[in-house]
Amino acid sequence: MRFTKVIIPITLCVLLVSFATPAQKQKAPAAQPQKPTAVVTPIDTDALKGLLSQQRQKPLLVNFWATYCDPCRDEFPDLVKIDKDYRAQSIEFITVSLDDMTDINTEVPKFLDLMKAKMPAYLLNVNDPEPAINMVDQRWRGDLPATFLYNEKGEVVYKHIGRVNVAELREAIDKVVKKGSS
Amino acid sequence: MRIRNLSIVFASLLVSASAMAAVGARTGGEVPAPPAIGATIDDFTLPDVDNKDYSLKSLMGKKGAVLIFIAVQCPVSNAYNERMEQLAQDYKAKGINVIGINSNITEDAAAVKAHAAEHKLTFTILKDPGNKIADRLGAAVTPEAYFIDTNNKLLYHGRIDNAKNPAQLETSDLRNALDAALTGKAIEKTEAKAFGCSIKRG
Repeated sequence: MRFTKVIIPITLCVLLVSFATPAQKQKAPAAQPQKPTAVVTPIDTDALKGLLSQQRQKPLLVNFWATYCDPCRDEFPDLVKIDKDYRAQSIEFITVSLDDMTDINTEVPKFLDLMKAKMPAYLLNVNDPEPAINMVDQRWRGDLPATFLYNEKGEVVYKHIGRVNVAELREAIDKVVKKGSS
Repeated sequence: MRIRNLSIVFASLLVSASAMAAVGARTGGEVPAPPAIGATIDDFTLPDVDNKDYSLKSLMGKKGAVLIFIAVQCPVSNAYNERMEQLAQDYKAKGINVIGINSNITEDAAAVKAHAAEHKLTFTILKDPGNKIADRLGAAVTPEAYFIDTNNKLLYHGRIDNAKNPAQLETSDLRNALDAALTGKAIEKTEAKAFGCSIKRG
């Protein structure tokens, strides 16, 4: 009697384990976190200067932002829409992140992927951001977001510090595009 | 004083208007201009995280004070927590008191208090309802520092140092300013652009 009491639960346990084990083996491996696909290029102050000041075929829109900046994240969908609406016809659009270099393959592209952003993305790779900020605009204090529109000659024709006013930005783009094509 | 401030504001408006007029550029969204180096900061009173009022005068050290706009949620400000606490400890003994100011409308006194406890920030932190002092000082981001002498004269304004990541530290602008003032030397760099998260204004 005692033997039966002991052997039955043991047998049941063995059976349970033997059924459970193959099931676990069949379980799909844990999903690996997907690697972000957006390419973010590091850029230093001189290279950024070259990019902003060169003569070009089309006006250039530049948005300075960072993943830690809430208004930057908030305005990004509007900027992606502007890029979609204007890129084919009239403007170049680049984004420059002021995040840490340590975020270049992680947080920054992850956010760009989430936003489905297609504009060329750069990350300011400098130890000291001040010379770059001054180079862009002596009066800009480095607060984010900051958006600048350059005409074909490399002159600033519109700037906005803080979350952009979409209607105002579109108006400025339309104006510079019209000027360029006339 | 008010007339002087007005003339400074008017002059900066003229300069910016003429600079932008050169290419017909438009601008917007900028925070109020900060006082010029050498300007006097009027005394003010703000509540701390326990809603106890403190005047700037009452918190002033024997050799001056450093006001730092800080935040609870900003990763840049948070990257400076240890450095700010160390700064406060190093200079308290030398007569300069560090005072934190949280002007973010999105962060209430309870959150600021909990954050200070979590990160062991021992210096006084004031809450700035309605961003009045952030507007008066033209503070745009966190962290952003203002060093004033015992006469409330602004001696340095800007960043704490050059890098969010302490491994990239090259210039300790704020400490350099404090050390120069303490040793009676001229401050070489009186302004350095602060970088960080925008102050969340109402």
